[in-house]
This record gives sequence, structure tokens and C-alpha cells, in this order.
Amino acid sequence: MATTQVTSEVIGSVWKIEKAEGDAVAEGELIMILESMKMEIPVEAPVAGTLAAIKVKPEESVEEDQVLCLIES
Amino acid sequence: MSFDDELDELKAREEKARAMGGPDRLARRDAQGVLNARSRIDALIDPGSWVETGLLAVSSIVPEDRDRTPADGKVAGFAKLDGRMVGVVSNDFTTKGASSSATNMKKIGHVKRVATERGFPLVFFGESSGARMPDNMGAKGMGTNLGNDPQQYIRTRRTPWAAAVLGQCYGSSAWYTCLADFAVMRKGAIMAVASPGLASFAIGQKVEAEDLGGWKLHSEVSGLVDRVAESDEEALDEIKRFMSYMPSHCNEVPPRAPVPAGSDDGAKRILDILPESRKRGYDVRKIIQCLADTDSFFEFKPRFGRTAVTGLARLGGRSVGFIASNPMGKAGALDVAGCEKATRFTVLCDSFNLPLILLVDTPGFVIGIEGEKQKAPGKIMNFMQALQMCTMPKLSVIMRKSYGQAYLNMGGGRNSDDVAAWPTAEVSFMDAHFATEIVTWGQQVSEADKQEIRDRMEKDSSAYGLAEIFAVQAVISPADTRRYLIQQLEIHELRMSGGIGEHRMAGWPTTY
Repeated sequence: MATTQVTSEVIGSVWKIEKAEGDAVAEGELIMILESMKMEIPVEAPVAGTLAAIKVKPEESVEEDQVLCLIES
Repeated sequence: MSFDDELDELKAREEKARAMGGPDRLARRDAQGVLNARSRIDALIDPGSWVETGLLAVSSIVPEDRDRTPADGKVAGFAKLDGRMVGVVSNDFTTKGASSSATNMKKIGHVKRVATERGFPLVFFGESSGARMPDNMGAKGMGTNLGNDPQQYIRTRRTPWAAAVLGQCYGSSAWYTCLADFAVMRKGAIMAVASPGLASFAIGQKVEAEDLGGWKLHSEVSGLVDRVAESDEEALDEIKRFMSYMPSHCNEVPPRAPVPAGSDDGAKRILDILPESRKRGYDVRKIIQCLADTDSFFEFKPRFGRTAVTGLARLGGRSVGFIASNPMGKAGALDVAGCEKATRFTVLCDSFNLPLILLVDTPGFVIGIEGEKQKAPGKIMNFMQALQMCTMPKLSVIMRKSYGQAYLNMGGGRNSDDVAAWPTAEVSFMDAHFATEIVTWGQQVSEADKQEIRDRMEKDSSAYGLAEIFAVQAVISPADTRRYLIQQLEIHELRMSGGIGEHRMAGWPTTY
């Protein structure tokens, strides 16, 4: 079982979380949407697996490279 | 007549030189999974193609070092890489830390000179401790060794240079890495002006080696390396891959490669990647992968200056360079690091006859205090000047937003040989939202009137508005973009010069 950290590409805030902990995700599937500089930045699953943990909440500020969630595969 | 004694002596000297710093030191490297100076060369080149120069060179300054400086710590020579000639300098850290001496600097100078004058690339394997002491100490040391080659650090981009940071790189290993067109760094290696130890002694700064010059610093903050590798072997593969896109010298066109099956299928997927909402970001690297020949995109500096994406690729078998703004990084607003990255890459492509493809989705340049402190206007002009100086074919595709000065920097107007727009393109001086606020500044304007102003501005910013005044030469479907680019590359081929550009930036710096 490998754990993959999904990190933020940008400084911004969490706008919407589309998945819940325990959900199965396919590679490339949308997990959440961040907001940065008036743009919606999609966060997609880099690998297929199960969403083991979501580390942020809506409206929370995020830094570049901050871990947003963990996928186990 | 027998010359057995003489030939035995030659053989013994050669074997001693090839043994480098001795079996114990080599075994310790093996145990760490790190290649040595000679196994690195073997892993890079075509088998059996090595022609060494200076095998029997030794230290010439300190008499007692004569017998303990095999090849004087820097292995140099010539070889074939995928059938093409290259020059190689490989630092042997097991011999006096591969420190720079009077003799081995002559070896480097020779390989550089031959490669440059005869027209083939150079590869440096960096792992050295800096200048050799006591050779370089005192007036005699400095006067004899350093500063006696007026061409030593001139970079004229006559032939491509690649460098790998494969251990401690201080002094010349750092200098040559920074002068190279392509640099890869193995995790765990360190590159800095001087060692953490010297930093500690000289200025009292207690630093960890990784903080001073580790892979994270150079791939994310300084941008001095283009790629990061997990192992020596992986680093050597990265150099091979870089060289596969490059000509042997500046007066040659890059090699053509066969087009992999299925390369035309990707463009159809672009419409699935491009979001319907203009406010939604996407990773432009996915678009490049759809446009380029299958698996041919080779990204430079993926963790540095992420507002821009740069990389080599092939289109219909031709080597090209891509520069794209990336909406995933600061909404695609180009920042200082993004400009530096784009400038350096433009100079590389122009110097080695690689056409440039610009993909545009940018709301402009990042504004604000931080950028100004980092000389943002100067960086924007460096990038702009590089683009205008570039004499290779330039093709620009406006995918979505292209605003203000960034419209020019990313090839808009006559800054490309051909500009196409997708129907989703919008071009203006600035985003209609901000423009409305500025033109109504200080006035009592209702929200309904502001919306009308915004709507009018947005309508006037369309791809068709550009097409009507021939500011773009075509409006194309994203799915037709690969075909368009391949056709335009053929139209704009530099027939009069056999594909060779003017290289007006060949002497530009390698770092900005």
C-alpha cells in the first residue's frame, strides 16, 4: 500500500471539496477546487486509489506545496 | 627488436592511471550506490567509443603528488553518444577531491577547445572540491594556474553543453554547471560557490549542505538546474535525452526523429482538458503533451518559475521548444522567475536552431511590491528582447487570455511569424473586470452600467475581432492545433539558410 501526498500548486484558499474521505478516486479525477488570484484551480488525483485523508477545510488558506489530502493505492 | 620493457612501462602507467584513487575509495562509492568518474562515462557513451586524452597527466606543482594523482583527478576525452561525437570531462573525486590544478585545467581547456572548434557537444560530470591547494596558493599559484586562459569561462554557444551535478560541486564544477545549456542534479549532491565548511570558517555561517546548495534550492528557488534525478544513472539518461533534441553544433539543424504511432490522436483530447469556465485553471503541460509527438515533451525547470512552462519536444519529428503560461501557477500571470526561465529557454532555442512554440493563457504579468524588488520590469524586457532577437520561426497560439504587455511577450502581434487563436481567446489591454473599475474610478456608476461596460469590453476582445484586423492569421479549433503547428513549421522553415538562425544571443548570459 503506497500513500501519495496531494499538494497545492498555488497559494490560495480552498473553495470546494468534491470528495469525502474513504471515496475511491480515479487518476485525474477532481478532488477539490482551490481559489487563487480569482481563478479556480482544480486539484486532481495524481494516482487512482482511496482518499485516505483530507487535510483542509473549505475557506482555509493554503500555501504552495501544502499537503491537501492523502491517497492510498 | 623488442621493446618489451618500454611497452610494459606504458601499460603499467596506464593501469595505474585508470585505477583512480585506489580500490578502497572506489569500493566505498560502490557501497553508497554512487558511480565513479570512469563508470559514469561508461554509462553515458556508446560502448567501445571512448578515446581518452591526458590519461598520463599528473600533478606538476608538488613533486610528491606525482605518484598519487592519476589522470590528475579529471578524466577527459571524446566518445560517441547515440552515434554522435561528444567531449566529456568527468571529475574523479577519489583523486584529491578532483580539485582544479595546473595540469587538469589544461585538460579541460583542451577538450573544450576541440569540441568547440570541431563542432560537437560537451558533457561535464561535476563532483569537485574546488581549487587544489597548495597549487593555487600565493602569488605564484594564482599567477601560474588561475586566470591564464582568457577563454575559460566564455560561453559562445557554438556547441551544446550539458552538466550533471553528481556530488559536492564547488568552484569549477559549479561554474561549468551554470555555463551549461542543460543541468541535471542528483538528489544528495550539493552545488555552491564554496563548501559549508568554508562558509562556517570564513563568515561564521553554520549551514546544512542541503540548505546551502541542495537539489530543492536549485530546482525550486535558484532555478540553476533544469532537472533532478534520483541516481547517477538517471542523471546520465537525462543528459542523453537532452542531447537527442540538439544539433551537434550551432551551424547544424537538430536531428529529425521518427513520429511515434498515435501522435495525432492527442489533439482531440484538448477539449476535455480546457475548462468551459474562463475562471477555471488547468495544467498547460497536459495541452503540450496533446500537441507534441507522443512522449516527446521534456520539461525544463518544472519546479521553478511555475507561472511559465518551458521544454523541448518534437512536432512531426522536428525538435522544437515550447514556452507556455500555466494557469495553474498564479493564474498564468507571469512572474520574475517565469520571465527568467522563458528568457533562458528562448536563448537556448535560438542558439541551436530550434523553432519556438508559444502557448498563451495569461492575464498579464504579476504586479506588486515583491516583483518590483526583484527587478520585474527589467526581467520582462529581457524576455521581450530575447523574443524579438530570436531569428528562429516563432508560432504563437492564443488559447484563452492574453493581456497587455504579456500579449507581446508571448508572441502576439508581429512578435511571432504566425499567430493563431482558439475561439476561446480574449485579447485586450487588461481584464475587463479591472478595466471597468479603472475607467469608472471616482465616478458614480451603477452596477448595471458597469456590467454594460464590462460586456462591451469583453465582446471587443474576441478571437474574431483579432482575425478581422489580421492581428491573428487564423482562428482554429484546439483539435486542429497540432496540424496547424506542423504545417506552419514547414511554411516557415528557414530555407535560405538551411534551417540555421542568426544566433544573435549566443553570447548572452546563462543565468538571469
